[in-house]
Amino acid sequence: MIAWLNDPGNWTAPGGIFDQLWSHLQYALIALVVAAALALPVGLLIGHAGRGRWLVTVANAVRALPVVGLLILLYVMLAPHIHGRGDTVYLLPTEIVLILLAIPPILASTVAGVENVDPAVRDAAAGMGMRGGQVVRRVELPNALPLVFSGVRSATLQVIATATVAAYLGLGGLGRFVYDGQASQNFAERDAGALLVALLAVAADLVLALAQRYTVSRGVSGRFPRRTLVGDPVATADAPPSTHTA
Amino acid sequence: MPLHDSLLAQDSSPFGMFGYFSDHRDEVLNWLWYHTWLSAVPVVAGLLIALPLGWVARRYRWTYPPLVTTAGLLYTIPSIALFVAMPDIIGTQILDPINVAVALTVYSVALLVRVVADGLGAVPEDVAQAATAMGLTRRQRLLKVELPLAVPVIAAGVRVAVVANVSLVAVAGTIGVPNLGQLFTTGFQLSVGSPYYPPITLGIVLCVLLALALDLLVVGGTRLATPWRRAVSGS
Amino acid sequence: MKKALTSALVAVCAMALAACGSSGSSGANGLSASGGSSASGGGTTIASKLVLGGSPEFKTRTDGIPGLARVYGVTFGSYKTLDAGGPLTINALKNGQIDAGDIFTTDPSIQANGFVVLQDPKNLYAAQNVLPLINKAKATPGVTSTLKSVSDKLDTNTLAQLDVHVITDKQDPAAVAEGWLASEGLNKTGTAAQGVSIKIGSANFQESVLLAEIYAKALQAQGANVTTRLNIGSRETYVPGLKDGSIDLIPEYSGALLVYFDPKTTAVSSADVYAALQKAVPAPLTVLDQSSAQDKDAIVVTKATADKYHLVSIADLANNG
Repeated sequence: MIAWLNDPGNWTAPGGIFDQLWSHLQYALIALVVAAALALPVGLLIGHAGRGRWLVTVANAVRALPVVGLLILLYVMLAPHIHGRGDTVYLLPTEIVLILLAIPPILASTVAGVENVDPAVRDAAAGMGMRGGQVVRRVELPNALPLVFSGVRSATLQVIATATVAAYLGLGGLGRFVYDGQASQNFAERDAGALLVALLAVAADLVLALAQRYTVSRGVSGRFPRRTLVGDPVATADAPPSTHTA
Repeated sequence: MPLHDSLLAQDSSPFGMFGYFSDHRDEVLNWLWYHTWLSAVPVVAGLLIALPLGWVARRYRWTYPPLVTTAGLLYTIPSIALFVAMPDIIGTQILDPINVAVALTVYSVALLVRVVADGLGAVPEDVAQAATAMGLTRRQRLLKVELPLAVPVIAAGVRVAVVANVSLVAVAGTIGVPNLGQLFTTGFQLSVGSPYYPPITLGIVLCVLLALALDLLVVGGTRLATPWRRAVSGS
Repeated sequence: MKKALTSALVAVCAMALAACGSSGSSGANGLSASGGSSASGGGTTIASKLVLGGSPEFKTRTDGIPGLARVYGVTFGSYKTLDAGGPLTINALKNGQIDAGDIFTTDPSIQANGFVVLQDPKNLYAAQNVLPLINKAKATPGVTSTLKSVSDKLDTNTLAQLDVHVITDKQDPAAVAEGWLASEGLNKTGTAAQGVSIKIGSANFQESVLLAEIYAKALQAQGANVTTRLNIGSRETYVPGLKDGSIDLIPEYSGALLVYFDPKTTAVSSADVYAALQKAVPAPLTVLDQSSAQDKDAIVVTKATADKYHLVSIADLANNG
């Protein structure tokens, strides 16, 4: 495995590690951006209005759907309708599955984050004359940010690990090495592929951890100079555990 | 070639799953049975391993970051790779379902270590002080106060692990481990030219039902294990 | 309404994906990696304008992309990694994601869609006779003779017909197996395999499941105690399973099995492949008598592509077009 990873040809060749790393990132990013664009505003609204929590339950129930089954179902459903060159027929089912995976953690943690905002803080904002929209944007969102981040981070781990199945449907990504290595009895390639997925997930998590550090208000995180906190008491208590399903 | 007429008319719509089920009843129930224990046993095993590990992470604070980080790392390994590499790692036979069971146990431990550690740590300060004031030893405090109070948090983690496992077991179906995932590969293979839905929808429906049933089981077990919560909420 | 929903879904998502600029690098890679070189000097070949699709291993297999370049001087424009003659490859060929596919000759979808199987005059593709791969310990004289009588009755046309029942008509492979054995008088009860316990496996495609059911029912009729373990992934999974005794018997194809055990083989004809295979199969495994039924790799194109470029044989792909 180390030898396989040490061979520069395996990195730079067309369809090599760099190419597949980029594809893998693309699949994951599309899914995460779409999922966040849907789940964040909806989550803020549910948390703010205190109504529509059933949507969180529904989203969580979606986790019970088996990923491979859903992937095959969507492919089989779409295949007769998509003609001509290109990867759309493989990309669509993959992205839908990844988006469905990413929504529940982001939605649940956003709602929990807003609901956890101290009512006194909210009252103070109202007392200052802020209207609903302003309260959401300037008070609830910043205060909910640590939990929102933990939701996004667990969605990211899950999506990156699961994007491996893209290769099952003939797409690229790091899963290509896992499936190709297995099919051609190149077990070094297969295991290296798995390791690269894990490393990519860890790297993405580190980037998000850094982003969290710079975007969460110090007033919320309590991260002031010369005073370090072990862990993040809010985030660890309420964050839904991350899962991955493929 | 003499073939039964009843076999000729096949409904290939999603609703054909009822006919498909009655035609393949024994096989499908067999797969459901395998799927059930492959989903449940690794979570139980994982919990048994995660409990002491989580306690260590709590008791000796310096072990928390390495333990939780390692667990998180394990969790990012794609399952299909772990399933096929398992025989090389633990020296089992390649078709042995134990490979899947061990791999899923690894995932369950990875998920539950942090949950257990955080759950044990979530005991309110005044409760801990009350326990100390009552003269409980460290061991008594763990068994009589911290662990029971952590049950709801741990149970939430177990629910997530069980539901995730049902989906992961189906992945193992694509490499020939007998379980409901084989319905997906069969339906896939038969969907040449036009879709053949029955086995696929049947597999999805059974997986969801199984996930819900196991989830309810955990919820029910948690209620039994935490009688004081019912007393307080008055239900 | 379902149709409308699907189309709407397709449209919306396609737009979203286009917006994200995800033409993305995918399984389709330039062929430079395979080491193939353009055959006809100067002009562009027909193949260079086409996309070929097939299994992951086809990319590197001796008779895969390297073989096409070596034997025919054919190098496709790009290769799309899909599956081994399965739904991905067939649907992709049908719907135009690829122009040519590595598909197996008994596949009913070839006829159903009017696909054209390109001739292989230089015998790039070796014989693929159906035969039982078995653990020696289970190959008792009774088991061997029972499976021989099955192999003797099975020919390519019969196999293709049975595939139509299973794949096109969605009949249960076990019932199709039983029906065929009965029609050939192979279901008569006997005692040839009495006292033998045998675990029969199959690969994860329908023809293999069907053949495994045929072996299973024939052995059962002769008194064997049979259990089945069907839909086991691919050769990489089930051959180790045979070696360690998880299964005892599986239907196989001579040429592909030979390549698995001896990737450098040059055997092509049925007889040569079988002879080489008997030497190449490692203990404790062995192959029994082969049937005349063959399910070979073939480069398959749509009728439209064949007409457009006047394609009859693989060699035509190297012409300038």
